[in-house]
Amino acid sequence: MTAAFSLEGISKRFGEVTALDNVSLSLVEGEVLGLIGQNGSGKSTIMKVMAGLHQPDSGIIKVGGRVVQLRSPLVAAAAGIGLVHQEQSLIRSLTVAENLFLDKPATSTRAGVYRWNDLRDRAKHQLDKVELDIDPFTPVAELSFGQRQMVELAKVLSLEELVQGHLVILFDEPTAVLNPPEIDALFSQIRRIKHRSSVVFVSHRMDEILTISDRVYVMSDGRNVATRDKDHVNVDELYELMVGKQRVNRKDRKPREAHLGAEAALTLKNVTVPGEIEDISLTLAPGEILGLIGVQGSGAETILRTVFGMADEWSGSIDYFGAPLTIDSPAEAVHKGIGYLPAERKTEGMIRNTSVSENVAITYGWQHGRGGGVISRARERGLIEGWVQKLAIKTPSIGHRIDNLSGGNQQKVVLSKWLFGKTLKFLMLDHPTRGLDPGARSDLFAVIRELADQGLAILLVADTLDEVLNMADSIIVMKDGRVSARIEGVQAAPPSEEDLVKAMV
Amino acid sequence: MKDTVLRLMRRHGALIVLIVILAAVSTAAPGILRWRAINSLLKDNAPMLVMIVGATLPILLGCLDLSIAAMASLAAVVAAMLAPSLGSASAFVVVAGASVIGGVQGWLIGRLQVPSFVISLGALGIFKGVALYLTGAAMVGIQPGIGVYDLLGGKTAGMSNSFILVMIVAGLFAVMLKFTNLGRNIYAFGANEIAVYISGVRRDWVRSFAFAASAGCAALGGVLMISQTMFASATVAGSLLLPALVGVIVGGTAISGGVGGVLSSLIGGLIAILIRVGVTISGLPPESQDVAFGITILIAVALTTDRAKIGLVK
Repeated sequence: MTAAFSLEGISKRFGEVTALDNVSLSLVEGEVLGLIGQNGSGKSTIMKVMAGLHQPDSGIIKVGGRVVQLRSPLVAAAAGIGLVHQEQSLIRSLTVAENLFLDKPATSTRAGVYRWNDLRDRAKHQLDKVELDIDPFTPVAELSFGQRQMVELAKVLSLEELVQGHLVILFDEPTAVLNPPEIDALFSQIRRIKHRSSVVFVSHRMDEILTISDRVYVMSDGRNVATRDKDHVNVDELYELMVGKQRVNRKDRKPREAHLGAEAALTLKNVTVPGEIEDISLTLAPGEILGLIGVQGSGAETILRTVFGMADEWSGSIDYFGAPLTIDSPAEAVHKGIGYLPAERKTEGMIRNTSVSENVAITYGWQHGRGGGVISRARERGLIEGWVQKLAIKTPSIGHRIDNLSGGNQQKVVLSKWLFGKTLKFLMLDHPTRGLDPGARSDLFAVIRELADQGLAILLVADTLDEVLNMADSIIVMKDGRVSARIEGVQAAPPSEEDLVKAMV
Repeated sequence: MKDTVLRLMRRHGALIVLIVILAAVSTAAPGILRWRAINSLLKDNAPMLVMIVGATLPILLGCLDLSIAAMASLAAVVAAMLAPSLGSASAFVVVAGASVIGGVQGWLIGRLQVPSFVISLGALGIFKGVALYLTGAAMVGIQPGIGVYDLLGGKTAGMSNSFILVMIVAGLFAVMLKFTNLGRNIYAFGANEIAVYISGVRRDWVRSFAFAASAGCAALGGVLMISQTMFASATVAGSLLLPALVGVIVGGTAISGGVGGVLSSLIGGLIAILIRVGVTISGLPPESQDVAFGITILIAVALTTDRAKIGLVK
């Protein structure tokens, strides 16, 4: 049988990072391909290439045996390829009907004027397909997440009328926001549309992939490392394949020796943030590095933001050095000696259009001032230059704009903001190495280890397995907002990568 | 090359514009360069200049305080009404009260998550209405002989005391912005509010301070007005909003925040004065002043806005 759709030798680079490395994929008519891989394995990139959102640097794309160039989502749609986004592509203030036809040729208008009845009928037809019984003129904001996901699907399925021939429907983590009955409903829709479409289904959850897919396609480090038929799947093998290059070299590994303080720095008991994390308990001692790991949306980041006073609504209890932590702003957290390195460096970490020195001094600069809120740039300068040297930050001068530094150096500047003060006792790092090259990563690792050795308590949300295995004294694995595994004594007796992945997906 | 020119224009643009306009105006009316003329211009415009100094602070945050002119009128009215009983203290009471009200305005922006121009537009309406209610749309006069108003109306070493006060206020704010933690936080807030918040800065306090300074300076402007004219009305400063904002923006304080300062705003204020003079001596009707200010602010904002930061224009 000829492939309905295929990618051949696709590569895609973003600057220094190779997102896709010579990847091939083919879909036969009417099959569901389950795409699985860790964060950063290239899943999203390959979906975006197929949907016309990214242009590959090399390789060819074929639809029904014919080579095509998917220059834009519109071109992809004309070729019968539709991407079902997670619910955020809908415009909340518009009605379902308007959303359905927003990206389609304007057929419900005459002389530029909307024909509302015609629009309603056509919308109704699309909604019937996904068995969604709602008034097409309901504003999207009034729908549940499950209903929105169905509207997303209906939006893509309207390709059925617009395009002749076979369709390719791409699902990008459609189940992330759904509850079990909604997931079942989605699956029956996927089974229904198989008669005239091929489906690619991305999920972080292994059980879902195994339920819905005819074939499983595993990605790791930007490559396709295996494709398995549903009937010949060995789950343990899949976990092993997903680990990929993140395997730690156990022979050359230098275990860290932690010197833990007696009193706990941080204790969480049954902390819940509605819709994000549930029933999280953990303890962290001074001098300890606690690694949190989980797939995107597992809730690890939410724990950090809750402790830092940024959650609107939470329950449970947080103790900090023996006293309840009652704060509701980062300013209060900082006052108590808590630091937080956000994952979004460009929007939340660095203060753009501002010099390196102002970025370092923003939080604790006043501690080196003359008192009474008067700062001393002269005194700061020496100290900032000290940190620039210590962290090997490459910048022409400390007066240089932070925007002009490389990503790794920007991250080091943002980190030194926390090290600049005299009162930091507890540091939270949210994906600190995201977007950094290997050299910058190992620099940053060394700094973090040294900080823990000096007695700082560190909570680290890691990007990769080798990060937690190399750095952490204990590991907590998160899945769907809950703790799915706890591992103590990581440095002495490291768990296997497969065990971690198993707890994650 | 283009970058260098742009940077030079950004840094010294206001000064260049000031010199060019001054040259143009003084060619048409050489009399303006005489000390007496300069002094009287600075004295007459001291209320606007002090408002410009204050209005700079919210704009450095990337916010906008549209209530300053209404606040100046209200402050003038209240000060004039309190003067018979409180004497000199009326001026201090009014400036302090205005600062508190401004601080509350700034606080509300953060608490209610409502854009500053909306909050301050609402405040504009309230201040104006209260001033009209208090005066019954009539003028309120004050008697000579009240220390602080007489002092502000006078001269020291040939220079108007009003203008000297403006310079002192501007100097204090300039020092605050350069040498204190609060000043650092104000600039950083304008550059990236979220990152500053996550750095542990109390952003609500910073915003409150900026709006307190803005309202306090506006009230001081109102006080300076009655010291010169000896009367107040509910609309006495109403026409000053546009020229005050022109002053700040033309001075080079970016409306997107993070860049600028009170001293550059003073230069912008001088430009605003010269625009006014220019319109008068050119023989155009006085109404064309607002047209000139409108055009100036459009050009200045277009030249100085950091579009990379805004992303969306609404």
